Amino acid sequence: MATTARTTEVLHLSFVAGGMLEDAAGERLGRVDDLIVRLEGEEYPPVSGAVAIVAGRQVFVPLSSIAEIGDGRVRLREQRMDLQRFQRRPGEILLRKDVLDRQVINIDGARLVRANDIELVRIDGLYRVVGVDVSMRGLVRRIIPHSLAGRIGSGDFLDWASIEPFTGHVPSVRLRVPHPKLARLHAAQLADLVEAASHREGEEIIAAVRSDPELEADLFEELEAQHQREFVEDRTDPEIAALLARMEADDAVDLVLELPEERREPVVALLPPVLGRRVRTLLGYDPATAGGLMSPEFLCLYGEATREEVLERVRRSRVGADGAAWIYALTAHKQLRGGAPLAEVVRAADGARLADIVRPVPTLAPDAELEEVAQLMTDYDLTVAPVVGEGGQLLGIVTVDDVLELVLPEGWRRRFNILGGD
Amino acid sequence: MRWRRSGGRLARLVAVGSVLGPGLVAANAGNDAGGIATYASVGARYGYDLLWMMVLITVSLVVVQEMAARMGAVTGKGLAELIREEFGPRWSLFSTVSVLLANLGICISEFVGIGAALGLAHVPPQASVPVAAVVVWLLVVRGSYTVANRVFVAMTIPFFAYPIAAVLAHPHWSAVGKAIVVPHVHLDAPYLLLFVATAGTTITPFMQLYLQSAVVERGLGPEDVPAERLEVASASLFANLVASFIIIATGATLFVHGHRTVSNAADAARALEPFAGRFAEVLFAIGLLGASMLAAAILPVTAAYVISETFGLEKGIARRPREAPVFVGVITVLIAIGAVVAVIPGVPVIKLLVLVQVVNGALLPVTLFFVWRLSRNRELMGDYRNGRVFDVLAAATVIATSALSLLLLAVTLSGNA
Repeated sequence: MATTARTTEVLHLSFVAGGMLEDAAGERLGRVDDLIVRLEGEEYPPVSGAVAIVAGRQVFVPLSSIAEIGDGRVRLREQRMDLQRFQRRPGEILLRKDVLDRQVINIDGARLVRANDIELVRIDGLYRVVGVDVSMRGLVRRIIPHSLAGRIGSGDFLDWASIEPFTGHVPSVRLRVPHPKLARLHAAQLADLVEAASHREGEEIIAAVRSDPELEADLFEELEAQHQREFVEDRTDPEIAALLARMEADDAVDLVLELPEERREPVVALLPPVLGRRVRTLLGYDPATAGGLMSPEFLCLYGEATREEVLERVRRSRVGADGAAWIYALTAHKQLRGGAPLAEVVRAADGARLADIVRPVPTLAPDAELEEVAQLMTDYDLTVAPVVGEGGQLLGIVTVDDVLELVLPEGWRRRFNILGGD
Repeated sequence: MRWRRSGGRLARLVAVGSVLGPGLVAANAGNDAGGIATYASVGARYGYDLLWMMVLITVSLVVVQEMAARMGAVTGKGLAELIREEFGPRWSLFSTVSVLLANLGICISEFVGIGAALGLAHVPPQASVPVAAVVVWLLVVRGSYTVANRVFVAMTIPFFAYPIAAVLAHPHWSAVGKAIVVPHVHLDAPYLLLFVATAGTTITPFMQLYLQSAVVERGLGPEDVPAERLEVASASLFANLVASFIIIATGATLFVHGHRTVSNAADAARALEPFAGRFAEVLFAIGLLGASMLAAAILPVTAAYVISETFGLEKGIARRPREAPVFVGVITVLIAIGAVVAVIPGVPVIKLLVLVQVVNGALLPVTLFFVWRLSRNRELMGDYRNGRVFDVLAAATVIATSALSLLLLAVTLSGNA
């Protein structure tokens, strides 16, 4: 192919924008202000035109009239051009104004980076955005005079395939561009990004995952309290309730507690009945005690139940994997008789009664302090600890992940992955 | 964290704490060692004659700080970050380097102030300054964000020492009142110079940069703008009231008794002793210590915010060293250099401070221009951009303050300072 030689030449946006606009004969017509792209649907978005300043007016230069884009200039095909005033059309992004110098999401590292330059390559006649330069070298190239800047070669840049720019600040776009690449991230990584971004950028990330309500709920579970409050306070009560409905009861309670007091009851009233009841129960406890930490989602059966009945119950129940890790047995008076890890129930002989499989387990009172909870779980090597009321009835279980979250020094809990990257 | 959420009362306290927050810290950090020295000089040399100016300066300060706070709340971005995004990397680098130099210089003067304050208790600066540096560093880097903020706010309490010292000095209140309302203009160079210096020390670039970044780190949003506006206005008013009381205190004593020159803040404290009793001196020393410590903590943090925002690095006082190495590194280096230079004998501190004034004088018009341009930007600020009347007021403030700042720059460079 004739263009092969050209594909290796990488153009820096910072050299193109600010350069000359010249006609076919090389006569100067004006100044190149920006390049236009559309982001949807293309892995490497092609440039669809340029914006130039000609005689003090911002004019649109369609791709069809551009002969070549090069370092410091854009050359037209013909001697003259139509002076068509530039107006943004929906979905159009201006590379310099909207992306350069701003934060973009590096999907591979799940972190925010700043676009020090944008790299373009001519592939089969189209100029495509291929990457973002985040290196110090890219920044230096733009600070020193142009004549020296040419000597600084292009360093490593991030492949555009793993870059997702923010478009919420672009007037003609306003959250309408989907961010499909975000789906490659876990809820925890998305939450880290939301926390590191500005409020508006955070809104954009959340809006992008909204089409997947499960993911959105997971994201909220992972957010820190301050940020949960920040992003939930603008929503209506039914919207918040819909979000909570997809969360584990204890996480839902955490979020409810972030709401202003006068909004809590109306929101809880909109929850599905079972979840609503659980949330109300949990709200009665001090959040720093076993009662506040516990989840009401656990599996307990009467001691008379056989191994098969227990396993059938595990299969049918919707209790999460953490909550189902232990099976509890009750006495005829609904008091806790004992518990056994699910693995032991599976390994027990056919027909064995639950009462024979379980053994006595250490328990916590609802008002046990965090330290006591952590101590008990450490001493007995428990990943799950039952919380028992005064009458011996099983109220809920505390799982190790909820305790760890509070016991770890605050600094440790922050984004490992955001900082761990390159 | 779960335990914070339990009680409504605690939540309200936290809310009140945030109202007491960044505006107060920023404004009071403006009343630092250099500020106190300037106000004391003003009072000693011209009595109450420059008091009328404090009214104008207060209005300007409120206007400027309000814009910065509003931008932080609406955009969720720091000032340096917005400069980078809207004006490109060259302006961004210019302001970053100037802020770094200016803040380093002011930081040195704060540690000189700490040494002077504890010098009144006969502690040599070689002992007091290193200890203070370690305390400040631990507070900023190892303390939690909430603790750091509470301590910063608590550190402003000694400022009440100034009104008390002023009252103990028994000024003629009718003369004070008259001086506030009726401008007394002297047409001599020193008067003009003090006028300009006072404006320069009260409205300093780091105050806008710190305020905006701190508003962002607190996670305030557009809905917090009215509350934050109130906080900024009352904080600026409070800080300038304190400054006015320094002028009144020195005006009622030094000026009346003919001691017309004050070469540094400690002089001002010592000079109060024979007239207002030992009590006044102790209070003056506490106030100076608190002010210097507060600013010594705020300045490195501001520089770190600016550098992180410009280069897009991890930032925030809530971050640990391992998470934000550059952020913490900048803070550490600034505190270390500030403390070391302040105790090395033979370092020309006065010359350094003059240099600081030059850098600040060059930086302020640029910062203010950016603040003004950004806060009236429709695309950026939407419905929260400057209103028409406010915008004119803001433009006037920016032009007047910049003119004064450039005047000071010219005077300093021509060697009259």
